[in-house]
Amino acid sequence: MMRSKNVLLYAGLIVGLLISVFPFYWLIVMATRTTPEIYSFPPKLWFGTHLFDNIGRVFDSIDFFRSLLNTLFVAVTSTILVLFFDSLAGYTFAKFSFPGKKWLFVVLLATMMAPAQLSLVPSFVIMAKFGWVGSFKALIIPGMANAFGIFWIRQYAEESIPSELLDAGKIDGCGFFRLYWKISLPILRPALSFLGAFTFIGAWNDYLWPLIILSDERKFTLQIALASLNGIYSTDYSLVIAGTLLAVIPLIIMFLFISKQFISDIAAGAIKS
Amino acid sequence: MIKTRKSIFWLLIVVFILGGCSSSSSNPEQKTLTLWYWNRALDDKLIQAVQTQFPDVRINAQKIGGDFKSKLKTTLAGGGSGPDIVAFNDWVTELFPSSDHFYDLYELGAKDIEPDYLDWKWQLGVTPEGKMIAMPIDTGPTALFYREDLFSKAGLPTDPEEVHKQMGTWEDYFKAGQKLQQAFGGKVKLTDSISNIYSQVNAQSDKIYFDKNDNFIGESPDSSMKKAWDLAVQASQMGVLANTNMFSSEWNASMNNGKIASFVSAVWHKQILMDAAPDTAGKWRVARAPGGDGNVGGSFLAIMKTSKYPKESFEVMKWLLNSENQVTAFKDINLFPSATKALDAPVMKEKEDFFGGQSTGEIFTESARNVKPAYFGSKFGNVNGIVSRELQSVALGKDPDTAWNDALKRVKKELLR
Amino acid sequence: MGEPLRQPLEPHRPYPVTAKRKLSSEIWKHRKEYLAISPFYILFAVFGLFPILFSMYLSFQKWDGIGVMTFNGVNNYRFMLTDPEFWKAVGNTLLIWIYSTIPMLFLALIVAFLLNASFVKFRTFFRIGYFLPNVTSLVAVSIVFSTIFSNNYGLLNYILTLFGLDPVEWLSHTWGIQLAVSVMVIWRWVGYNAVIYLAGLQSIPSVLYEAAKIDGASGIQAFFRITIPNLRPIILFTVITSTIGGMQVFTEPQVLVGNDGGANGGGLTIVLYLYREAFINNYFGYGSAVGWGMFVLIALFSILNWKVVQGKGTQ
Repeated sequence: MMRSKNVLLYAGLIVGLLISVFPFYWLIVMATRTTPEIYSFPPKLWFGTHLFDNIGRVFDSIDFFRSLLNTLFVAVTSTILVLFFDSLAGYTFAKFSFPGKKWLFVVLLATMMAPAQLSLVPSFVIMAKFGWVGSFKALIIPGMANAFGIFWIRQYAEESIPSELLDAGKIDGCGFFRLYWKISLPILRPALSFLGAFTFIGAWNDYLWPLIILSDERKFTLQIALASLNGIYSTDYSLVIAGTLLAVIPLIIMFLFISKQFISDIAAGAIKS
Repeated sequence: MIKTRKSIFWLLIVVFILGGCSSSSSNPEQKTLTLWYWNRALDDKLIQAVQTQFPDVRINAQKIGGDFKSKLKTTLAGGGSGPDIVAFNDWVTELFPSSDHFYDLYELGAKDIEPDYLDWKWQLGVTPEGKMIAMPIDTGPTALFYREDLFSKAGLPTDPEEVHKQMGTWEDYFKAGQKLQQAFGGKVKLTDSISNIYSQVNAQSDKIYFDKNDNFIGESPDSSMKKAWDLAVQASQMGVLANTNMFSSEWNASMNNGKIASFVSAVWHKQILMDAAPDTAGKWRVARAPGGDGNVGGSFLAIMKTSKYPKESFEVMKWLLNSENQVTAFKDINLFPSATKALDAPVMKEKEDFFGGQSTGEIFTESARNVKPAYFGSKFGNVNGIVSRELQSVALGKDPDTAWNDALKRVKKELLR
Repeated sequence: MGEPLRQPLEPHRPYPVTAKRKLSSEIWKHRKEYLAISPFYILFAVFGLFPILFSMYLSFQKWDGIGVMTFNGVNNYRFMLTDPEFWKAVGNTLLIWIYSTIPMLFLALIVAFLLNASFVKFRTFFRIGYFLPNVTSLVAVSIVFSTIFSNNYGLLNYILTLFGLDPVEWLSHTWGIQLAVSVMVIWRWVGYNAVIYLAGLQSIPSVLYEAAKIDGASGIQAFFRITIPNLRPIILFTVITSTIGGMQVFTEPQVLVGNDGGANGGGLTIVLYLYREAFINNYFGYGSAVGWGMFVLIALFSILNWKVVQGKGTQ
């Protein structure tokens, strides 16, 4: 009786898992097919033989590596800047007291409520006035310090950095920024790794804002390159699909490495807030 | 841990070097002209040849991806550093109110070469005040693309001339379509979509939404708007549409799978069709379109007022778009000429395997010569979008009269905006 | 302008001056702390607060981005409130939100329960598998699902024909497009929410369940009496985040059916409408007004959600 119930439970879990990963399977199947094969009905359910041919055409027709590098550049730069500014601010909020701290923190939390889409048009106009339209600056700079990250680091810093350690550091003659860099930053590493992964994934997958900002194809990030590949003159569909596969793989590999800790942190973050 | 840190460090170095090196050094003697265009708007080989043709000019050619028109407009909005030379599509008319952002090409000497180009095409780049802001690249004469094998099986004529004779009007074309669909038990549709019929009928007309003073004329009897609407609705009611929109993978799949037997479109659709439906090679033919000859698309080049080198830009444009180079561009990437001499080139009469050995160039050349000069008006795009959306809902069952009234109401509101 | 007025008042308030001096020296003492937290506030002022104020200004202007800005009164707002397409976009967004959120949270709860069963092995493996869709780019997801829902060559239609049913033209119907978008949202977010629920379930002390068992409560009773009340804050969190996310759906319909939202505008969501009006049709003033309309809607729905979930708790 008990055992059959367990079998049922497992069956449910496995069916759900299959649905979760099926689109990835389907993407790979289609990436191994020619365009007419993709368009055929009934669809081909098993792998074909044209994977390398399709991938080759992706590299021939768009500058895939450039898009990949653009994406890496934007994502890595954003991540580093976010980690630096957020950890510095979060740690300061956690470990120091100064006039107006409470109010400043309330303001910070309140800004999380402001929806980004509200200011889509004016933000664009501001970027245009700065001459940043078409440039990576517009993708990186506005987001390089964010309320969520500061909140997250503050929570972690409060629990994990012993005030005695900071006092000892002060006695040893460490200044404010040395205390941060030499003593606190190493302790914050677990929180930083989550925030870093979170920022990196977000920057990698960002679509609407780069879609508005970027214009020169040589500056496209992967998502924009992919959407434009899938755009109006796309007749070579197997190429589109192969490009999609290539754009998805790097992030998934990265995710698989960090997934265990990352998922726990997501859950913990939700429960805390 | 240390290992990963090190590897991240090296990754960073690589990213910064590669990402940061996009600015290239330039020779101070050279004048750099920035060119904005979209993929296949110009022949890349010719753009590269500009360097050798004009030794003191360096072309910084940027392909603008995504929605080119909105990218251009938003750049103008920003007032930032735009390009020197910029490509326009047939929405050139939307930029007439902003014509002071561009050089008047007549002032740079365009009058001298005006006779070399198709008049209707040339006039599309001239504002009602007589300023010429855009110079013709290619044209998009329209014709009927049809599957010879399917027409034959359905007992319809197959020879292009006879097809045109029997399907000279839209009504006859739809009737033939019903016959064709019966022959295939409904598995093959005559043509693609309600909005394409609508666009194609308007493309054959010289009076659509606006007169030269930008007054809305859609309700007047000599405008083609209502006629195009009625024909599109008729096609939908006769059931000859597959309700599949162009420029989608659905459309491509329908073509390759032989679910659609014909469609009216511009010459540049040849390339799309050849790429999208390789399995149907040899089975297609082209005939003069039902309802008459027309034009859809075809692009232009303009010089921005912010450019420091208007004279050089104009010389480069003049060279890029002269009739010999238009023949080259036609050979390289199928850009259909706007220069009259280029239309007479022998390459226009070459036989094409994809079209069963037919020389489709002859059909399109004839079509190109018969296009009526039209004025589109600065709000053409918005109005056309509104009407198309209403038509789409007719195809999905909305009452045509209600839809027509809704469309007019919405258009009038749009014009007051 | 205010200076000459203020000056004569100063001598009458000696005390605040010294307090001010104290405060300013306090602030000076902590200048490094302020410096450390300043980047966020500077960035927010420039790229957050200023755009919001500016968008208020813009929403009363008529501006195509190229010509001159002209004051337009409340015309943008009037146009918005009387534009059937705006209301269609609002309706579509709500429908897609309902179609997606309810099954999504329900499925996530089920997955969380299954994963929480004491005997389940490879829990980490399952969690990763379920979470994977969430890190995949929306553009890629939309392209893949467009081939699944395709009218002509879609996998879903193939499955229908296997069961002897007729193929459906999903992407030619309003509901078909909305269904496709909702399925994408569900697929992408079930794992995410399940992981959060699972953490919530694991934080419920097992003592509570044991006590209930001793009192003779059945499994179902325990579920409604213990699990749900303890999960409520977490459910509220997921409902609010999915509301905010649901109001901002853009990429899925834009990649799937284009800027017009496809057949009958079935995929025209509010953000897509805003994007089209501002960045495709170049009505920048109007786009700002739509932004405010959207803000009001999100606020209303967040409050409504909060009330609903809270209300259930007080029963």
